[in-house]
Amino acid sequence: MFSLSEIFTLTLIRATVRMSTPILLAALGLIVTELANITNIGVEGIMLVSAFIAVAASYWSGSWVVGILAAVVAGVLIAALMALIHLKFKADVFVAGIAINLFSLAFTRFLLKNWFGVAGSFYSPRISPIPRINLSFLQIHPVIDTLFNNYNLMDYLAIVLVFVFNFLIYKTVWGLRLRFTGVHPAAVETGGISVTTKKLQALLISGVLGGLAGAHLSLGYTTQFIENMTNGRGFIGVAAMYFGGVAPITTWLASLFFGFTEGVGARLQTMGFPSQFILMMPYVATVFAITFSMIRQQKKLTQKQPF
Amino acid sequence: MEPLVKLSGIIKQFPNVVALKEVDFSLREGEVHSLVGENGAGKSTLMNVLYGVIQPDRGDIFIRGEKQHFHSARDAMNLGIGMVHQEFMLAPTMTVLENIILGFEPTKRSVLDYDLAYEQITELSREYGLAVRPESKIMDNSVGEAQRVEILKALYRGAEVLILDEPTAVLTPQETDELFRVIASLKQHGKTVIFISHKLQEVMEISDRITVMRDGKVQGTLDVADATKEKLAVLMVGREVFLNIKAASTKAGPVVLDVRGISARGRRKLSELTDVSFQVRAGEILGIAGVDGNGQSELVEALTGLGRVDQGEILISGTPITNLSPGQIRKKRVAHIPEDRNTSGLCKEMTIGENLIAITLDQPPLSKHGVIRSREVNELAAKLVKEYDIRPANHRIRTANLSGGNKQKVIVAREVSEDADLLIAAHPTRGVDIGSIEFIRSILLAQREQGKAILLVSADLEEIMSLSDRIAVMYEGKIMGIVPAAEANERVLGLMMAGATYDEATQGKGDEVIEA
Repeated sequence: MFSLSEIFTLTLIRATVRMSTPILLAALGLIVTELANITNIGVEGIMLVSAFIAVAASYWSGSWVVGILAAVVAGVLIAALMALIHLKFKADVFVAGIAINLFSLAFTRFLLKNWFGVAGSFYSPRISPIPRINLSFLQIHPVIDTLFNNYNLMDYLAIVLVFVFNFLIYKTVWGLRLRFTGVHPAAVETGGISVTTKKLQALLISGVLGGLAGAHLSLGYTTQFIENMTNGRGFIGVAAMYFGGVAPITTWLASLFFGFTEGVGARLQTMGFPSQFILMMPYVATVFAITFSMIRQQKKLTQKQPF
Repeated sequence: MEPLVKLSGIIKQFPNVVALKEVDFSLREGEVHSLVGENGAGKSTLMNVLYGVIQPDRGDIFIRGEKQHFHSARDAMNLGIGMVHQEFMLAPTMTVLENIILGFEPTKRSVLDYDLAYEQITELSREYGLAVRPESKIMDNSVGEAQRVEILKALYRGAEVLILDEPTAVLTPQETDELFRVIASLKQHGKTVIFISHKLQEVMEISDRITVMRDGKVQGTLDVADATKEKLAVLMVGREVFLNIKAASTKAGPVVLDVRGISARGRRKLSELTDVSFQVRAGEILGIAGVDGNGQSELVEALTGLGRVDQGEILISGTPITNLSPGQIRKKRVAHIPEDRNTSGLCKEMTIGENLIAITLDQPPLSKHGVIRSREVNELAAKLVKEYDIRPANHRIRTANLSGGNKQKVIVAREVSEDADLLIAAHPTRGVDIGSIEFIRSILLAQREQGKAILLVSADLEEIMSLSDRIAVMYEGKIMGIVPAAEANERVLGLMMAGATYDEATQGKGDEVIEA
């Protein structure tokens, strides 16, 4: 048998952080839309298309910066398409999300074949990856160095964004109005603010974050595009958002939890555990997390009905 | 003197109906001006025009003599017009402070300035005597408090004219008095108030002037000195009405409904039923009074089989019916007018006729061996439509197209024609026009004359007092006491609705109880 100390090492903590980043970026976008009362499951599709566009742009331009920007533009465009479907033509947002997800899967497969003539995956040394960041002041001690240093730029960025969104949501006028949009749209309208505009803003922001998440998957976490490489991470983002109570800091913790299950899984797999069982872990965790959050939400609803 | 607000020749047409037909309305600065009329008379439409929510097809709005065009509520707000809607525009999970500042948030270097907002709100609240708790969440506030928050919100937005849309519909008599003090204080500070109501007593008490609307037209504007309740009622309905029509009490017969110490879970803490007991006899009306949400809905659900009873027993003419299904309970000769005609009273997609026969469809003569006999069905439907004066008088019309009053008459016709021993009537006249109110009340009294037992649940104290033989008051899922109608008055019932027992309420200790 393997000893626990073999599994729980400092590198597991590193793996946890690295694996939580795409989930966290997606979940932050989902918080913004959820506050505007839109459960944007289309984030899975946004991430997948963005991941592909990031690889393509980085391959042709040789610049990861261009790759990220192109991914963000792609994310925003798809979010705008969702806004058109949901806000203008009033389609149910779940249906719109499912449509986007199915479309993205086929669309990226088509582009992969059409642009690069390959099926399944695309890799090239010409793809410029997002760099790792070496912060020399962290090299004072090997443990600190291993825990906190040499992460991908996007790992750091995601954590900064947690605090940025925490500030935006709770300390600014924009955030206050966003929070009202979800719980009482009529109050927002009678306050002279357009609910549709708020919802559009929320969707576009989730497009930006979905784009970043996608770019990170294909240019940071790996340097390649694989068909369906999001592999449910957008949905796990939905779980993290609910598990974290639709608030940035707790959602960060929830994302770390999901990153951890993935990290432990990966480690157990290298030790010869049956891989099917291991690969199931993040999804089992998701089912538990969603169940837990829904029970909590139900309780809140029954206890606290106004008037 | 030039009027502060003048609406001139306002016309608004909705699909199929003309809501406003050339309405003129003017408002003097600093007055309390009541707007009365039945539901559907056009009061709310007119006020939504003034508040910028609805754009009129024709007609002009003048504020201080200047012609204005409102494209949204924001435009009206900027000119000092504020509205307190009947359904509060408050987010329950957010704080009082956040709800008040929404849309007009003070900032310091683009960050929300909560401290400044807090100061501004406490200042306003002191000035107008509107006590609120800025940091509490709306859901932890009472209805009266929430209403004060709404008024503060309008003032915070700089309202000079406050439109109060049926503000007393949800209040206890004591809370209403409190609201009237606030209105007086607003007037003192030079604000102008439009008070929408159909309770003529209140209107007479609070107004300087009264405008009556009917059928989308203004019937007249009276100074309060020239107005009487009778005059207003005639203007509202177009004929004389008789709402206080109770005949002398006949003697009550044997016990029909016997409720013994029932407890049941509620939608929320306050409406959980705890040890509720009472009896209703043949030939009497027992009124259940109380502020909405104190367990009345749960009680009716328990009695009709729509909700589960955890403890206690319910008997109909001596047979237990506790936790039987609604169908089984109906078979014990119980009829039920549900509280929400749109969701549980009617199937809106079906016709008047189909709704009328919904209960008795499975019995002869309406059906035989599971096959509907359309001739009998049509005959019965046509007969009921005529008897209960349901308009339009065509039973093949879908009920979705009926007015509130006529929808309610369909339900009353169906339930009363069942000829049950017990009739449970939950808010039978809520939100219907005066003509229908009068008609439905007379039917309930006629049922009593015929020796039926009637349980009347209503949040309208005037209705409870004018119809009931005895009145039970519910508060937080408990019966605070049962009062013979002859000994009941608004003050005593009001105190009981706020949690005092009958003894406390009659010995004048009620106010202290509520304080504690």
